[in-house]
Amino acid sequence: MALDGIFDTTIRLLEKNLDLRARNQNFISANLANAETPGYIPTNLSFEGELKEALKNRGGGSASVTNPRHIPLKGQGGGLDKVQGRVIETPAASIGKDGNGVELENEMGKLVENQILYNATVQIVSKQFESLKTAIKGSI
Amino acid sequence: MDFFTSMDVSSSGMAAERTRMNLISSNIANANSTRTQEGGPYRRKDPVFSAVPATGGFKSVMDRDGAAGVKKVEVAQIREDQSPPRMQYDPTHPDADGQGYVALPNVNVIEEMVDMISATRAYEANVTAAQAAKSMAMKTLDLLR
Repeated sequence: MALDGIFDTTIRLLEKNLDLRARNQNFISANLANAETPGYIPTNLSFEGELKEALKNRGGGSASVTNPRHIPLKGQGGGLDKVQGRVIETPAASIGKDGNGVELENEMGKLVENQILYNATVQIVSKQFESLKTAIKGSI
Repeated sequence: MDFFTSMDVSSSGMAAERTRMNLISSNIANANSTRTQEGGPYRRKDPVFSAVPATGGFKSVMDRDGAAGVKKVEVAQIREDQSPPRMQYDPTHPDADGQGYVALPNVNVIEEMVDMISATRAYEANVTAAQAAKSMAMKTLDLLR
């Protein structure tokens, strides 16, 4: 089994997920810190769709574009590594008089969600390595 | 690891809310101060928050784009409330004017109390965010065990 087989898409996907969630954490912290700043519109990192798309387009072999008139296969070059996420504005439904769009409850919800999903991902990574170790040792 | 940006942002929020809390305490403590160094009664003080990019300094050179678009908070200035002072009739007061009125600070204690609750909650939210970032970082470190 090639090394590429061991550290397959799963690990790379988990890795990317951790990276993006850690970055999202920055945005949520910023929204909470600016909960009272006039004119501040909360932002978030949106990447779930992009990640899903990249994962869906990964299979199907690789057909290289050798002629500029070739139509590239869907997903070509849109690999997991290229997923960067998009910064989107997520203002509350009713923006206050001072133009601040932060809703504390909303941000807390997002914070908890991000944290739980991050921890879940870390746990899966840990399990992945554990099973790899089991396979190497050959005995439990 | 990028969690330090998150902690940095949260601590900027905590510092800003603490400044706000200090000013609220000052307002409540001086709710009846008729004399100040600048002359006249005490005036209510209020911080003005402003969102500034979290990048900058050494960290931004080290990180490529981890903190792009992330804003921390900063106290841009401390504003003095320019609303007129409360006038109270008390001719025996040493600071009373010709008509026997004393200019008292334009502080409304109830308003300050409400502001204080809001500042406390905002501070707590920042603490929670910092705790979340810390627990995530620790979870990641646990992978090494």
